[in-house]
Order: sequence, then structure tokens, then C-alpha cells
Amino acid sequence: MISDEDLLKAALRGDEAAFTALYRRRQGAVYRFALHMSGEGAVSEDVTQEVFIALLESGGRFDPARGTLLSFLYGIARNLLLRRFEKKRPEDSDALADELAADDDVLDDLTRRETIEAVRSAVLSLPAPYREAVVLCDLENASYEDAAAALECPVGTVRSRLSRGRAMLGQKLAVKTARSMS
Amino acid sequence: MKEEHVKEDYVLQALGALAESDRKREAPPEVEARLLVAFQTRRRSGWRWAAIVATAAGLVIALLLWPNRSPKATLSAVQPFPQVLEAPRPIREIEPTPRVARARRKLGPKVAAVRQSERREVVTDFFPLMNPAPSFGRGQMLRVQLPAAAMQTVGLPVREEHLDDLVQADVLVGEEGMPRAIRFVRFDVK
Repeated sequence: MISDEDLLKAALRGDEAAFTALYRRRQGAVYRFALHMSGEGAVSEDVTQEVFIALLESGGRFDPARGTLLSFLYGIARNLLLRRFEKKRPEDSDALADELAADDDVLDDLTRRETIEAVRSAVLSLPAPYREAVVLCDLENASYEDAAAALECPVGTVRSRLSRGRAMLGQKLAVKTARSMS
Repeated sequence: MKEEHVKEDYVLQALGALAESDRKREAPPEVEARLLVAFQTRRRSGWRWAAIVATAAGLVIALLLWPNRSPKATLSAVQPFPQVLEAPRPIREIEPTPRVARARRKLGPKVAAVRQSERREVVTDFFPLMNPAPSFGRGQMLRVQLPAAAMQTVGLPVREEHLDDLVQADVLVGEEGMPRAIRFVRFDVK
């Protein structure tokens, strides 16, 4: 199988078939990352399109020594999403306690949904830094190294965010379970 | 306290279920179509146009495949598109260009005959995509691929079994990035 890097090189030289093959191989992962981060199909479509346009525009800057092409694509998607989140509402990763406290209404709603949707909502309610780590490592099975390259942080930071993110999810899901039982 | 904290393995199990349920989710085909139009445009005209065209191509596809748009209503709206006549020279010429003609003379009549028989483009009239259309200053002609069902939406007959086939079309895009008119292309072999 031709590597992502070779497909990218060919695409940048104007090979449409290579670009199509690369897109078809990686669009699902990019789309799902955007979907789990934003919770909106339309946003995910736009982000997927913008990621691959950006790849054609600045794919020459991709450096295999710094991570895989997929982590490069995740990184572009992440930056596009963060820009959208900033426009929508400023997100304060330090205000963790506030976010958890403000989850009551969401959890009321969650008790009426299927488990999958409950988990999806819980993931979406995580602050962005924790959500990114959970989505990449637990939902997309990215390695810590790939996640670190995409998130532009050390591997240790990915591990700690992942651990914290899982703990927060556990807390949210526990509240939900307790409520549905009572 | 124990009830308040779900164990990590439960969280991982729940995340695994979510990942599995979304495993096959991917971007719809329209995204690929828009990107390919942008890719082709980039090769020809650079990135300023590619960005505009990705948006315009999306609009064309949405406009033509809009389910509420009945063929009958569209058929009555089909008129020659006067602004197209004022459009700048398209980047893809339908007729052989003088340059090609010169090359043909150099290659000799036999080779020229083979070349000529290779492909001949037959195009429909332009169908307007904006009604009423704002004045047209400058623009660009783009070659795109669309499902044949798009031809029905402008009143052109398409057999049922060919609705999903891909056909080529020229889209005239205004400098503001809006698709103004479309014509469909068929290749005939002499």
C-alpha cells in the first residue's frame, strides 16, 4: 500500500488520483474527530473540507519527523475547530469545576437517552483540552505520540489530560447512573 | 462515594461503545466532490480561485440536487443566459484553439485526423442558476463532474438507469464566487 506521505507528495505535484486516494483513506478519521469535538455534522463537513484544502495549500510544511500525516491532519482540524469554538464562546479550561457544576441540566436530559448518546454528550461537555485527548486516544485510537504531535504538547501532557478527562467522564456518567436509578 | 465515581474500565467500555457506533461515520460524498473541483481549479488557476470554487461547487450541487426543486418548474425557467455572452474567454475552449490547429499542421494530416477523432465535445446551452441574475462582470468557467440527475433539474431528459452516472458540466462562476450558469458536456467520438 502506498504510504500517506507518498500520496501527499504526488497530490502536491498535481496527481488527482493520489489526492482522492489520500482523502478517502483519511477523511473518516478527520470527520469523526471534528464530529466528536463539535457535536455538529455540518461543522464536521466544513472542517473536513477545510483540512484537505489546507493540506493542499500547506502540505509542503508536513514533516514526517514530527509525526504521522494523520496527526498533521488532526492538528489542522484541531486548529480550525478551536477557532470556531473561540468565535462561538470562549472556553476556559481552568473553569473545570464550573463546567461540572453546570452539567445538571445536561444530565437531566441524558437520563432520557440511550447510553451511546449519553457518552457522546458527556464527551462533548468536557473542556476542549481533555476532550481532544479523549477523542484522539480513546475514540480514534491514536497513539500517545500521534496525539501529542496533533495537540502540540508533550506525551506526558496527553497522558495526564487523558487520565483527567476519563475521570471527569466517569464522574458525569456516575451522576447520570445514580439519577436514572433513583 | 463509590456510586459517584464510575470505574475507569466502565468509562473505557462506554467510550469503546461510542467509538464502535461511530466507526463508519464519514464525510458525505459532496465534500469529496467539492474538494476535487477545488483541486482541479488549483492546478489551473491557483489558490485564490480554488477557495472560491470549493464554495461555489457546493452551491451548484446543492442548488441542482435540491429535492424540492421540480423539473417542470425549472424547465419553464430555462432561457438563454445573456450574461454568458459577455463572459471572459473560458479557460477550457470547446472549439480547437489556433495553437492546436498550428500543431496539427506540423504533425501532418494523418496524425491530425487521429487527434481530431479522439474527442469532440458537444455542449448544451447554458442554463441560469440565479434568477434574477445580478450583472455579470468577470468570472471563470470551471469543468466539474455531477450526477446525471442534475441534468433533470434543468429539464434535460435522463434515463432512469443513468441518474447516478457522472456527467461533466461547465459552471460559470462570477468573481464573487457565485455559480451563475451551467451547461452540460458530452463527448462524441467521430
